[in-house]
Amino acid sequence: MRLTASIPAMIIVVTLGVLWLVLPWETLFVWAAEKQRDAQEAMARALQAVRAQEPAALISLCFATASYGFVHALGPGHGKVVLGGAALASGATLRRMSMLTITASLAQAFSAIAMVGVFAAIFAIGSRQLGLFADDWLAPLSTLAIAAMGFYLIVRGAGMWRRSTAKPCCHGHGPSVQQTQSLTGFRDAAFLIVSIALRPCTGAIFVMVIALRFDVFWVGCLAVIAMGLGTAGFNLLVAWSGVAARRFGGFASRNAHEDQRVSAQLHLLGGSIICAASLGWLVSMVPELAL
Amino acid sequence: MMRFCRLFIMSLGLWYAGPIPAHPHVFVDAGVGFDFDTSGRLVAIRVIWRYDAFTSLTLFDILNLDVDGDGLLNDADRAAIVAGETDWADGYKGDTFMEMNNAEIALTRPVAGRAWLSDDQISVSFRLPLADPLVLEDDVVLRLYDPSYYYAYDVVSFDDLAPENCFVSLKEFEPDKASADLQNQLATLSREETPAQADVGRLFADEIWLKCG
Repeated sequence: MRLTASIPAMIIVVTLGVLWLVLPWETLFVWAAEKQRDAQEAMARALQAVRAQEPAALISLCFATASYGFVHALGPGHGKVVLGGAALASGATLRRMSMLTITASLAQAFSAIAMVGVFAAIFAIGSRQLGLFADDWLAPLSTLAIAAMGFYLIVRGAGMWRRSTAKPCCHGHGPSVQQTQSLTGFRDAAFLIVSIALRPCTGAIFVMVIALRFDVFWVGCLAVIAMGLGTAGFNLLVAWSGVAARRFGGFASRNAHEDQRVSAQLHLLGGSIICAASLGWLVSMVPELAL
Repeated sequence: MMRFCRLFIMSLGLWYAGPIPAHPHVFVDAGVGFDFDTSGRLVAIRVIWRYDAFTSLTLFDILNLDVDGDGLLNDADRAAIVAGETDWADGYKGDTFMEMNNAEIALTRPVAGRAWLSDDQISVSFRLPLADPLVLEDDVVLRLYDPSYYYAYDVVSFDDLAPENCFVSLKEFEPDKASADLQNQLATLSREETPAQADVGRLFADEIWLKCG
C-alpha cells in the first residue's frame, strides 16, 4: 500500500529528471536571450516614442513590456520555481494557484513602482544605488523568504508522513483537507506573494527610472503592470503544470490515508525543489562561495 | 583598461538587463575608414560606434542626458558622451586592433570625438592616429572586437577611400558549426562572468582588409 502511494511522486520525479536531461537548455536560453534582446530594444524605442508623444506609443510600450515579462520569466528566476513547487505540494486548486500567480506578479510590479516612486522620485536616490540595494539586500532577502517557504512545505510534508505511518488512532476519521493541503489560509498566501514581490524585476525598475526621467511616471506604471501580466502569463503555465501533476498524484490514492501519503510526498518534493533552487541562488549571490 | 562609459554599463546597464544570461550584452554597429598622408602612408583610422537602442537609453540614465526632455542632445550631452566613450584608461585599446604581417600596429588615443543621436540610437565617432605613419608593404587587417565579447561589434559600413592601387574590403564573420557552438555556450554566461577563453571576441570579428599592389 505504501508502495502504491509512492508511485505518483516517483513518476513526477522521473518526469522532471527526464525533462532536465532531454530539454535543449542551451538552445532555449539562446532563444530566450534573443527574444529578451528584441523586447528590450522594443521597450527602449517605445519609451522614446512616449517621450516624443507619438500616438499609440503607450500601446507599443505595454506590448513590449508584456513580452519582456514573458520571456524574462523564462530565465533562471525565483517566481516560477516557488509557484510551481507550491502548486505541486499544496494541493491548491487551479483557480487559487492562478489567483496567487497573478497577484504575485502584480505585487512584484508594484514593488518596482513603489521603489522607484519613493526612493528615486522623493529621495532622489540614483538608479545606481537602487540597483545595488536591490541586488545586495532585496534579492537575498527574497531568496531567504522563498527558502523558508520551501522549508515550511517540507516540515508540513514530514508531519503528514508521520501521521500517515502512525497506527490509525481514530477509525473512520480520515485526515481533513487542512491536514493534506497547504496555502489554504490568507497568511500562507500572503507570505508566498511577499516572498516573490520583495525583489522587483530589474527590467521593471529600468522602465520606471526612464519613465521618471522622461516625466511620464504614470505611463511607466502602466507599462510595468503590463510587464507583470506578461510574467504572470509564463508563470501561470508553470503553476498549472504543478496543479496538474498534483492532481495526477491524487488519482493514485484509493483512500484518505493513501491520499495523505501522496500529499506528504508531494509536499516533500515541492518543498525540496524550492529549497534546493533558492539555496543554489543564495550560494551564487555570494561570489566567494560560487565555484 | 576600458572606456569610462563601459564601467557604468557593466555595473548598472546590465543589472537592468536582468538575470537571463546573454553574452554579449552590448551591440554596436560599427563603421570604419582609413586616412592617408600625401605619400600614401596610413596615418589614422576613423571609427563610428552606433549603440543599440537599449544601451543608448541606458546611457541617457548613466550620463544624465537630455535633461530638458526635448529628445535632442545639446552640446553638454554630446560632450558627456564623447568624454565617456573616448577617455580611455591606460592600456585599453578601444577594441580596435590592426595588424600587418601578423604584427600589431600601434594606435594612439582617440581624437576628434563626436556624438549624435538618430533613430533613438546614440553614435560616437573618433579618429585614431597611428603611433607612426605606416608604409603599406603588405595587407593590413583591421578588426573591431571586445576580447571578452561583452560588446559585440558588427561592421556595417566602411569608407573605401584609399590610395591608388589599394582597396578596402570587408570580410564579414562567417559563422560555422564550431563558432556557433561556442557562441551558444557563451550565451549562457551571466553579466558577472567572463569567458574562460582569452581573446574570444576575436573569433567572431569582422575583418576590414586594406590591400595594395
